[in-house]
Amino acid sequence: MVKELKYAYYPGCVSQHMTKEANDTTRKVASILGIGLHDMPKASCCGAGLLTDYDYPLYLAINARIFAEAESMGMDILTICSTCLMVMSTANRDLLADPKLLAETNEVLAKAGLRYNGTIKIKQLLWVLASDYGLDNLKKKVVKPLSWLKAAPFYGCHSLRPSDALGFDDPDKPRSLDALIEALGAESVDFRGKARCCGFQVDIVAEQTALNMTGRRLLEGKEQGANCFVTPCPFCHVNLDNYQGLAEKAVGEKIQMPIFHLSQLVGLSLGMSPAELGLGRHLVSPEKILEGC
Amino acid sequence: MKIEFRIKRYNPDDGGSPEPYLQAYMVDVTEGMTVLEALLKISEEQDPTLAFRKSCRSAICGSCAMTVNGTARLTCNLQVLPEVEKMGSMTIEPLHNHRPVKDLVVDMTPFWNKIEKISPYLMPSSTSGSNAVTAEAEELIDQSQRCVMCGVCNAECSSLEIDERYAAPAALAKAWRFVGDVRDGSVVKRLERLSEEHGMWDCVRCVRCTQYCPKGVSPLKQIERLRSEAMKAGILDNHGAKHVEAMAGSVEKFGRLDEAAMTFKTLGFLKSLGKIPLGIRMELHGKMPHPYIVAQIEAIEEVREIYKEAGKKAGLKEKKKE
Repeated sequence: MVKELKYAYYPGCVSQHMTKEANDTTRKVASILGIGLHDMPKASCCGAGLLTDYDYPLYLAINARIFAEAESMGMDILTICSTCLMVMSTANRDLLADPKLLAETNEVLAKAGLRYNGTIKIKQLLWVLASDYGLDNLKKKVVKPLSWLKAAPFYGCHSLRPSDALGFDDPDKPRSLDALIEALGAESVDFRGKARCCGFQVDIVAEQTALNMTGRRLLEGKEQGANCFVTPCPFCHVNLDNYQGLAEKAVGEKIQMPIFHLSQLVGLSLGMSPAELGLGRHLVSPEKILEGC
Repeated sequence: MKIEFRIKRYNPDDGGSPEPYLQAYMVDVTEGMTVLEALLKISEEQDPTLAFRKSCRSAICGSCAMTVNGTARLTCNLQVLPEVEKMGSMTIEPLHNHRPVKDLVVDMTPFWNKIEKISPYLMPSSTSGSNAVTAEAEELIDQSQRCVMCGVCNAECSSLEIDERYAAPAALAKAWRFVGDVRDGSVVKRLERLSEEHGMWDCVRCVRCTQYCPKGVSPLKQIERLRSEAMKAGILDNHGAKHVEAMAGSVEKFGRLDEAAMTFKTLGFLKSLGKIPLGIRMELHGKMPHPYIVAQIEAIEEVREIYKEAGKKAGLKEKKKE
């Protein structure tokens, strides 16, 4: 008997617009699996790291406001964005480690009539599936094992580091996404870049650095025989998919690698159609690779 | 317990095999033995030609950093047996992002050039009368003072791997050591230089430096502090600061990220035109975010109250207007 799972659902800004397909698919997958996702209509952006640069106390207060909403719902937060995960978890780590900082932050929140008591946890979809839901339970739900896929697990920096704030998987040797890929019947491809950076944070600020980084990661997976990538992070998806054409130019090689959101890979194995998964929204079409299914 | 060490060998002076290759050594490892002790054992008992740097053996001198099983570590405070148990092997290579000189020894010249470039010494103001440093003021730069210049952070830096001109975490953390020092008189000048191209705004926030620093320097934290300080000093005429301002403004206005406006506000109108071909492809797939039509979150007034209050505390708005 699986215990009832319910979360305060925080899709993150980018999956409400640019990578909407990740949000839509996650909702459908959660509904199939019986995972309760409860909306947070008041939740703001976490600041994606940029608010941390702007002003640290403001960053803490804005994030504590998000936590206060989850606290009032009596649930932990589930996000489908690794950057939101890292940004929120780091704020939560700092607030819980220092009672003075929490008190100061609550002074700011009090002006808005709010208070954070320090009781919530932040999780991402990957962790919830791998741990709270459990891979054995997930396996039982698979109707279409993805045996023809050689998927390169692209964890993204912010699922793994800093480990003193995240702590779910080992950044030196991550396994959770590999294990999930295998549970869905696909082969997980080990490659150098799996725990490395896509470059997203400098897409606008230092474009050539970002594009070269993205290109290099894609080539590292391709060279190990991957026929697709899968990532739990929508920002990584933006770089690996939207910017793949530009990254190809930057590294001077054709890559043509389809990129799945984690939720899409799960949805595919649960029998969802490409249209339901929003695969038509990808810039690099996964059509070819789905012919084999 | 016998453990196989696979060690990257390289000798440019060796006419026979100038290409790097892996050489295996079997080492009798005892409990508590460090990777550096095992290297010394190899050097003393099996192969005196193996080149590597070391000195203090106590994680203070910073000489013995190498790549162990794919990540940069100080070999003197890494034990062999737990590492092998976790990673399943023991492969040692020179630091990444640095040019190998011989075997495990790398050229540190670019590292020191980057440190030199941030003027790593106090430049006291000629007008400041007092040199008092309170415990609180010292705490702000405490982490950055722990650096032993081992090069681990630079070896793990994702940006440096792509762009060798990037200032990189070691020098940036060291820069905070002086920018954050109440006695320094050249803070604004320092921050202006750090805001230039290939400077602090090129950090991709991959968190590798902070994750692997053996001394808890937390370079990313120091980079964030530099960025905040530069913005508070009004150094806003660069893509990095504009990007952050666009984000802060968007959250205050909508409670959300306004993706399209981020590009316009960071790059300005002309440079944003260069994004049109990609924009069209994204639009065809329904992916193009449209600016300024983002739906506000509920209770946005709470967010604005928080901005107002935090702004008051930081003196954020006032300073910027100056």
